[in-house]
Amino acid sequence: MNEVKIKSNNLNVFYGDKQALFDVNLDLNEKEVTALIGPSGCGKSTFIRCINRMNDVIDICKVTGNIEIDGVEINDENLDVVSLRERVGMVFQKPNPFPKSIYDNISYGPKIHGKGETKSELDEIVERSLKKAALWEEVKDRLDEPGTGLSGGQQQRLCIARAISVNPEVILMDEPCSALDPIATAKIEELIDELKKTYTIVIVTHSMAQAVRVSQKTGFFHLGKLIEVGKTEKIFKNPDNKMTQDYITGRFG
Amino acid sequence: MNFVLIFLIVIFSSSLFFYGKSKTKSISIERNIKLNALPKFYGYYLVLWSSIPALVFLLVWSLFEPIIIKSIIIETAANQGAIFNDKNEANLIYEKIKAIHLGTYFGDIDTILKESAISYSKFLNIFTNSKIVLIFVTIIASVIFSLKKIKNNNKAREDVEKILKGLLFVSSLIAILTTLGIIFSLLFESIKFFSVINIFDYLFGTNWSPQRAFVSDASAITTAEYEELKDAFGFVPLIAGTSFIAFIAMFVAVPIGLFSGIYMAEYASFKIRRISKPIIEILAGIPTVVYGFFAALTVGPFFRQIGESIGLTVSSESALAAGLIMGIMIIPYISSLSDDVINSVPQSLRDGSYAVGATKSETIKQVVIPAALPGIIGSVLLAVSRAIGETMIVVMAAGLAANLTINPLESTTTITTQIVMILVGDQEFDSPKTQSAFALGLTLFVATLILNYIAQRAVKKYREKYD
Repeated sequence: MNEVKIKSNNLNVFYGDKQALFDVNLDLNEKEVTALIGPSGCGKSTFIRCINRMNDVIDICKVTGNIEIDGVEINDENLDVVSLRERVGMVFQKPNPFPKSIYDNISYGPKIHGKGETKSELDEIVERSLKKAALWEEVKDRLDEPGTGLSGGQQQRLCIARAISVNPEVILMDEPCSALDPIATAKIEELIDELKKTYTIVIVTHSMAQAVRVSQKTGFFHLGKLIEVGKTEKIFKNPDNKMTQDYITGRFG
Repeated sequence: MNFVLIFLIVIFSSSLFFYGKSKTKSISIERNIKLNALPKFYGYYLVLWSSIPALVFLLVWSLFEPIIIKSIIIETAANQGAIFNDKNEANLIYEKIKAIHLGTYFGDIDTILKESAISYSKFLNIFTNSKIVLIFVTIIASVIFSLKKIKNNNKAREDVEKILKGLLFVSSLIAILTTLGIIFSLLFESIKFFSVINIFDYLFGTNWSPQRAFVSDASAITTAEYEELKDAFGFVPLIAGTSFIAFIAMFVAVPIGLFSGIYMAEYASFKIRRISKPIIEILAGIPTVVYGFFAALTVGPFFRQIGESIGLTVSSESALAAGLIMGIMIIPYISSLSDDVINSVPQSLRDGSYAVGATKSETIKQVVIPAALPGIIGSVLLAVSRAIGETMIVVMAAGLAANLTINPLESTTTITTQIVMILVGDQEFDSPKTQSAFALGLTLFVATLILNYIAQRAVKKYREKYD
């Protein structure tokens, strides 16, 4: 078992009057893939959006409790979210490349954080990120073409490359394959397998099969509560909780 | 008279809706058949068929009635011994006859005209009566026709759709034809103007003073007269003044409008937005003549005072005052439109930018604005066409003298202002001075058209990027 990278302690999230997460205690291990499963609206996405403080963007959202990364509290008003998000990258459900060239899509993050002062340094970052996202071979001759012109699967890998470009420690993936066809999905899953050597990955997914294929640890959420968490193998073969059992066998959800 | 008829037709045919509905219901029960459409469609069918033919008939009749009556009356008057040599005199006699009929003719009425007036009222009566009878017949015929169709269980849904499609088509046709009509009326008068003044002398002349343009006989202009004339119709000062004032206006409106649009879309809380957006939009609802007051009575004198206090001569009617106020007038257009386009940039793009650690202003500057750029360009160009077409503020605040100047403190003038100046008051319609207004109108129209075209091209070129 790897070391714990992210640790949440009694995490509660409110959207206005509605509570979306109830006392979630979840540990995520370093250089491992953790899958979060559960029916729609159960709070999986809300949970991972706490890890890079993306919920700050939503006015009515309030977060209480603690989240620590490497033992440092991040649910703190005085925390610099810019450097937090530099460390915790995110890939979204729908591919959302910027309406810019492929090159600019990748160089956007490094430029903002002042990495890659010279053109050649930037070129190197772009190439390295695209290679890591397994997209380099497909786009190396058309880096100045718009990122929105790529296919859905390529766009999602571009977004992964964008997340990698600032060299984060954690990558959050919010249903990254839900808008993709099976072939593109397989490519992304292969990529996740490769990426976990370097990064701590949290993936929200609706596909049980995907959770089994890519993750080492799985957490099951239901109605804002973390019902069960454990080794993926155990959760899918022999869960402790009846609800987990029902969900993974497709009896509800 | 016609309004009463239209009203009656509409009332009658709307009431047929219920008849058609219940009639088809009873038909379907009586004969135990499945209707081809819901009963209400048969109601609509009956309404449309009973009203449209009658209304079209009325329209056509009203268009041709005066023409036919006129030719008949002129002919009878001629038969009775009225003497006229050409069309104009015939028209004059016809107007006299009409006036006698209405009892508004003061003067000696000779017997021939009196006779004609009597026959005029007789014809008018005949025409009105036959109009009513024919409309009645039309309605009866079309109702019988449509009832017969309904009884045969026609496909009323398709038929109603077809008729509605036709109505919509006619509406758009009217809009297009009106545009063409306006263009042609501009074009024909402008051609008359350009047959007197060489188009190049007009486009490149640097002196505009149409009040000097006196011509004794427009059909025979001597070379000396032409030299004088072409000096009166130089377009350059006008386009310079127009662009200058529009430039000042855009200089004021683009930054303020754009920034307030960004604030409204990205920073303002729901509460602030709910209050301030309507207020900004009220700015767009203020009549331009009110802005004109403000420019002429407050801002103009204010600039002059300031100018005096630092030793500058500022004309009380200055391009600066007009441009400034025009800019304020345009702010809500840019602000409101760019607010809308910025709002329509998907949240996912912002999320993508925040997720790599960009701040709000970095996100706006590098992601949101570029994505919204086509819409922003579009709104700016729309505002430019507004600025170029604006008349009232300039009339009141920038003066009428066509100075070719780049000093914003002097008075200048614009194309639209000059058109107003030329067409106000009594004018001869065949003098180059009057016709020049149409040439100006045409030039302005072409300029705005080119701007709109560029705007559309720009928008198209950058479109679709973020879908």
